[in-house]
Amino acid sequence: MAWLVAAAAIGRAAETPGEPPLLYELPAAGSYALPPIDRVSEHVLLGSDGREAPLLGLRPGRFAVVAFVYLGCHDAAGCPLLLASLQQADRKLAASPALRGRVRLVTLSFDPARDGPAEMDNLRQRLAPRSDWRFFTGRDEAMLRPVLEDFDQDAVPALVREGESAGALRHVAKVFLIDGERRIRNVYGSGFLDARILIRDLETLLSERSPGD
Amino acid sequence: MRSNPVRRSLAALGVLSLASALPALADETCQSPYLPRLVGQEDFVYVWTLGIDGVGDGSDKLVTIGANPAKPGYGTVVSTVSVGGRHEAHHGGPTDDRRHLWVGGLDDSRIFIFDVASDPAHPKLERTISDFPEKTGGVVGPHGFYALPGRMLISALSNSRDGGGRTALVEYNHDGEFIRTIWMPEGATYGYDARIKPELNRMLTSSFTGKNNYMRKLSELLGDAEAMKHFGDSMVVWDYHARKPLQTLKVPGAPLEIRWALAPEHHYAFTAAALTSKLIGVFRKPDGSFEAVEIADIGDPSQTPLPVDISLSADDKSLFVDTFMDGKVRVFDVSQPRSPKQIYEKKIGPQVNMVSQTWDGKRVYFTTSLLANWDGVGGDDAQFLKAFGWDGKQLSPRFEIDFRAEKLGRPHIMNFGQAGLYKTQAQRGVDPGEPG
Repeated sequence: MAWLVAAAAIGRAAETPGEPPLLYELPAAGSYALPPIDRVSEHVLLGSDGREAPLLGLRPGRFAVVAFVYLGCHDAAGCPLLLASLQQADRKLAASPALRGRVRLVTLSFDPARDGPAEMDNLRQRLAPRSDWRFFTGRDEAMLRPVLEDFDQDAVPALVREGESAGALRHVAKVFLIDGERRIRNVYGSGFLDARILIRDLETLLSERSPGD
Repeated sequence: MRSNPVRRSLAALGVLSLASALPALADETCQSPYLPRLVGQEDFVYVWTLGIDGVGDGSDKLVTIGANPAKPGYGTVVSTVSVGGRHEAHHGGPTDDRRHLWVGGLDDSRIFIFDVASDPAHPKLERTISDFPEKTGGVVGPHGFYALPGRMLISALSNSRDGGGRTALVEYNHDGEFIRTIWMPEGATYGYDARIKPELNRMLTSSFTGKNNYMRKLSELLGDAEAMKHFGDSMVVWDYHARKPLQTLKVPGAPLEIRWALAPEHHYAFTAAALTSKLIGVFRKPDGSFEAVEIADIGDPSQTPLPVDISLSADDKSLFVDTFMDGKVRVFDVSQPRSPKQIYEKKIGPQVNMVSQTWDGKRVYFTTSLLANWDGVGGDDAQFLKAFGWDGKQLSPRFEIDFRAEKLGRPHIMNFGQAGLYKTQAQRGVDPGEPG
């Protein structure tokens, strides 16, 4: 199964000791702004346990990091790389007293025909989350479509030839950082997503004063 | 050993590669690193074109040129979309998913957003932003449109308070809603281009001049010594993630287009200073700061050939530099970036501005217009798009389109398009991109 290829790549990434050093110093938390980019809605989808659940589950002082993937992705620089980065973020979140419990990582498949709850649960087990990391899919495309439109995510079936699916999807892999008011505060391209940047952004958002936190 | 450029580009791809072999990439080398790269032959060149009074409808328009020799419409005008009026059409760029093309006008600061995904051969004007100065706090002249994930970064040229060169960077979301304005720092208040090297978390900006100058007839401007003092002389190095200026580099003579080297391990960029006719290298030093160094003359600086657009090849070895006043392109071998050598020169026409090359380096396109009041200062205001093949040694003509004869206007920025990027249209029985 193609998702095993992706999961194996993720496993190898997780086993790589240490992180490559950044070629720059990260800006200090709170030293920069992350102005709201857009606002999204809450959506109800199928969790990896097969039950319907809210995708974001946000309230003031909480954050969500949402990534769209599909398990048939063979592009090592696409979904597998994105999931590897999220796994690193998961480990860092679990180790952070300030962030642990405040952040939900969300991985959502936009290929419900192939990535059902069982497949997403297999992925969840492979990634072995240590923080609040949830996995979702749709019952069908109709359930998923409002989410894709809300996040302006395109996922176009790729064709081998006219009328013949390649079994793959063209998409621009992005990760969304969302605050407790469901405002998108940053968007990351998968090719340049580094967990350290994501954590620093979460720390920056946490440093913002907000009533009700 | 330097990594294969295709593999390097795949590291930034969000688009699935279907072929088991490495795909041939066709995209312009100057595009944002956050874009999915075009795979295979480009099908179209989208040309943002400035209207000419008395020529055709006289309006600014997006012109779609057929660019695939295997498809009907090759080398011809496939479609046009007039936006009504002349706004000083100048530059534009696609969104991070390549579904929309944002283009701007330097005179009234209007921004036009085209849908290029639904029918790549026939873009549709989807939205117009008419309140850019008001929303941004007085920024004028949206110049560069650079895709960020989920946003558009716009580098501007001027301001509404005094029409001078003090300006800002602006961000909008994909719905055309304003996000923020980042004013250029004190001591380096002018703007022009903004380019990002994500591996370094560094953004470089350059500096041109304000609306008082760029909307003025060039012949008058050149004779106004006071006005000629108001051109940019700096580049700024930014912490891109924090959007904080870190360093100001002194680069006299209006440094314009910036091109970062594309290899992740190449930590330098090139620009050309228009008024001094110098090729500039911006190099990262061991301590992480940058230095700007004059590395070559472009033509004979005493003749002020006015270098404008530049294009770096995907392997970081060749740099195409256009000079507006003599209509030439010069190709430099920049494999040793601190000591470039000119290896080729060709006169493209009486005047030339923009140059776009494909990622595989085999095709190169040129257009003519710089600014409505600057074009034709040499006496011959020819307006064209010319396409060439490039074999590493010489340019060979492929096709050309006379934009005056076709009653279109002054062609400026080019962006490539490809029908195969949006395959759902094929599923619906509509073959995307067929002209007519």
